[in-house]
Amino acid sequence: MIRKTIKIVNKLGMHARPATMIVKAATKFRSEFKIVKSDMEINGKSIMGVMTLAAEYGSELELVADGVDEEFLIKEIAEMFAAKFGEE
Amino acid sequence: MLEPVPLDENGLTIKVGNMKKISVKEFYKIKKKDLSLSLITHPNTMQGDITTSFLNRPGLALTGYFERFDYNRIQILGETEISYLQSLKEKDLYNNIKETFVYNIPAIIITKGLSIPKQIEFLANEMRIPIFSSRLSTDKLFNSLRIFLQGIFALSKTIHGTLVDVFGVGILLTGKSGIGKSECALELVERGQRIITDDVVKITSKEDILVGCGTNDYGHFMEVRGIGLIDVAKMFGIQAVRMKKRIDVQIELMPWKDNMDYERIGLSDNFVEILGNNVPIIYLPISPGKNIAVIIEVVAMNHISKLFGYDAAKEYTNKLQEDLTRKAKIRENQIEKKE
Repeated sequence: MIRKTIKIVNKLGMHARPATMIVKAATKFRSEFKIVKSDMEINGKSIMGVMTLAAEYGSELELVADGVDEEFLIKEIAEMFAAKFGEE
Repeated sequence: MLEPVPLDENGLTIKVGNMKKISVKEFYKIKKKDLSLSLITHPNTMQGDITTSFLNRPGLALTGYFERFDYNRIQILGETEISYLQSLKEKDLYNNIKETFVYNIPAIIITKGLSIPKQIEFLANEMRIPIFSSRLSTDKLFNSLRIFLQGIFALSKTIHGTLVDVFGVGILLTGKSGIGKSECALELVERGQRIITDDVVKITSKEDILVGCGTNDYGHFMEVRGIGLIDVAKMFGIQAVRMKKRIDVQIELMPWKDNMDYERIGLSDNFVEILGNNVPIIYLPISPGKNIAVIIEVVAMNHISKLFGYDAAKEYTNKLQEDLTRKAKIRENQIEKKE
């Protein structure tokens, strides 16, 4: 199991488009994927789950992956956050 | 009632009544290059419309026999016709052509770039009938002209699928044979929905809407794998069927694939083109244990709800967006206070 803390750096926060990007990327992997925000823990492969977090600009999230390809999953997802999902 | 479907020589369906037309001028503009056409007569001869996709070789009409002369079609003159005309005495030629040109011929095309007797050109100008010369052979001209005209006039086609009326929304179910279109339609009928036709849907484009119906008037028969033919109207009652229905949404049933990009939120709409009309399409993955009939009802209700101006996907994402903006502001204020 790997854990990685990341920060939302795109101005709009995690709205529908980034949420879809995360879910689509995560479902390619076999590992289990969870996202934790304060007291909320959701399944990172579920679109409703990810949107329910309502993670705004500047907030912190913890990515948790568990499985055979966990490191690749975390790496790809973390890169998407860092690249601001192609936004500002 | 179902209208009988006229078929042309190629077995393609053609539309009856309210036919489209294309003006000769427009035709010349579009096909000039493809058919290597040049106008022999004066430009003001191009005044009529082409109203049918059929072509005609006048043959006997040139000899003076006008019974069943299809004058409203484009007339093609090949080597046979031209050599016949050239063999005529001047006076006979004049009379025959004049008689032919009395008919309202939309256009004449001479193939192979053959030259025509001056008298014909004179009469055509006089009687306002456009004559074009094409460098193509008669056969080639026939082929490409027909393909072009059929594209213009063919406004109906048949496709493999099942058409159902779900809460008044016409849903065209498509997908590979054996994926379960018929079974799905049966389940919808069980739930009080109606079936228009199974397996083969004849789609006609009427102005900017698509209407689907069956291809024959035998009734609402359907094949269920393992059982054979059943009569839906006899079995489920007359309320289970209808004759035709506007097509609002297409649903393509497909086996579940892990790497396929299925719609997750519903903000972007996919469209498919049918007879020049854009129809919203939903790619629906199916897997064992999934109740497709319920999902199809949901698609129909969602469609109606969008027509009434309520889009659930937009509603939710807008709310999320507002929430994110609000929270980001609160965070900003907190940071400023600390500083």
